Amino acid sequence: MELKKYFKIWYFLTTIATQIALTSRLGAILFLIGKLLRFALFLVFIMVIYSQTQGIQGYSFWQVLFFFATFNLIDTASQFLLREVYRFRYYVLNGTFDYFLTKPMSPLFRSLFGGSDILDIPMLAISIIFVYYSTFKLTTVAPIDLIIYGLLVINALIIALAIHIVVISIGVLTTEVDNTIMLYRDLTQMGRIPVDVYREPISWIITFVIPIGVMMTFPAKALMGLLSTQFVLISIFLSLTIFFLCLRFWKYAIKNYSSVSS
Amino acid sequence: MKKYWQIAKITFSETTAYRLNFVMWRVRVVLQLLTIYFLWQAILPRGAKILNYDHSQILTYILGTSLIWSFVMASRSQSIADEINSGSLSNFLIKPINYFSYHFFRDIGDKAMNILFTAVELTLMYFILKPPIFIQTDPTYLALALISIFAALCLHFFINFILGTIGFISPEIWAPRFIFFIVIGFFAGSYFPLDILPANIFAIFKFLPFTYLLYFPLKVYLGQLPLEETIVGIFTTFIWTAVFALIANLAWRKGLKLYTSWGK
Repeated sequence: MELKKYFKIWYFLTTIATQIALTSRLGAILFLIGKLLRFALFLVFIMVIYSQTQGIQGYSFWQVLFFFATFNLIDTASQFLLREVYRFRYYVLNGTFDYFLTKPMSPLFRSLFGGSDILDIPMLAISIIFVYYSTFKLTTVAPIDLIIYGLLVINALIIALAIHIVVISIGVLTTEVDNTIMLYRDLTQMGRIPVDVYREPISWIITFVIPIGVMMTFPAKALMGLLSTQFVLISIFLSLTIFFLCLRFWKYAIKNYSSVSS
Repeated sequence: MKKYWQIAKITFSETTAYRLNFVMWRVRVVLQLLTIYFLWQAILPRGAKILNYDHSQILTYILGTSLIWSFVMASRSQSIADEINSGSLSNFLIKPINYFSYHFFRDIGDKAMNILFTAVELTLMYFILKPPIFIQTDPTYLALALISIFAALCLHFFINFILGTIGFISPEIWAPRFIFFIVIGFFAGSYFPLDILPANIFAIFKFLPFTYLLYFPLKVYLGQLPLEETIVGIFTTFIWTAVFALIANLAWRKGLKLYTSWGK
């Protein structure tokens, strides 16, 4: 029942966000072109690298492309679902967040899922097509690896959700959101290629301390049969631990919230 | 002239007004640099070569473009379109200042702050990572590199100014800027040295203005271009700058005829 209510709220708020996004058709088209360009130019970058070098640390061209496609899928899906976080600072500054607190629904839900971004849907579709296409270019994929891949993509989205909870919690405490979220985005960019190509200790740090590797590299490695069961279990344990710690941090932030405006 | 230097100084101080914001921004800058640095380190291990670039030259290129980026690309002129759309441009029109100079000196203040911090960050990175970078000692190439960087920052200023004048005809100002940043990042050579592209594609790139923003000044610094080609390149940058200055002037004059504001 609660789930149905929240789905309705999400649907309603997403409809409004969509109407706002399409107010300026030109702006929407230009943003979409920009996103497509960013995707295409990085693809060109990978192609240039593969045309001029021996490759990236033993990974084949299609393997690297699959890593990049998986990165895009996870990155775009989390942006699509959690776009409201990018507007959160404004809500804290102008007092709208106080209004969220008085409503009979979770303020955390409202702050995270208060309107998905329709402009991410074409990118999401392209990412899925790329994942699908590059999967066929890899060597034979076992059905169990496909299931683990799906599981680890969901796992990555849970980590993304947890990090977004931290971002808005910092926003509640300090009103700083924009740079924190962009810092997360910059960090995730390291996951456009498999994180094990970075030298140690960078590779270890961005796998287990800042779990970019668990988010972006592990699902793709699992599909290629390059990830042991042990690491699959560690990933799930890590994401759930991070998620519950982040929820605790959110509760701490809410307890210490002093209304900035309104 | 004195008032414009004051504007540059105020912009310099303004940057640190929101400390947490400022710290986060610098962390991001360092992180972006580390990302591309480690990426290239992985792609091109010691001893490997990519066309004319060995390990040390490619890392010099990556760190060098980062430093030149802070000289050339740091800008405050994104506020032009906001000022037009919000009507606060009227405040500038009634003051005895030149709007172009005002923004140029704001850029200077911003660049000074960027250069200061980038220099400190790169020095720290140099001592921590000990990258095998190439230091240019020939004063001729150093002088030519400085001239090409100055030309590049003027070129970037006028391109940015033109983007700002979009505010005269449309409230949609962020999307064109978003595309511009993506295009510039790639075509100026911040991902990789442009001459590793196939020769016919690189020949086209040479005609584009973006090539002269990052790639060309750094190639001059590295001393990898013959003197004749360097002079032609600097000359080309100034021609592009003049072209964009003319367009910016035209857009500004035409835009003012369209400009209306209420309640100011």
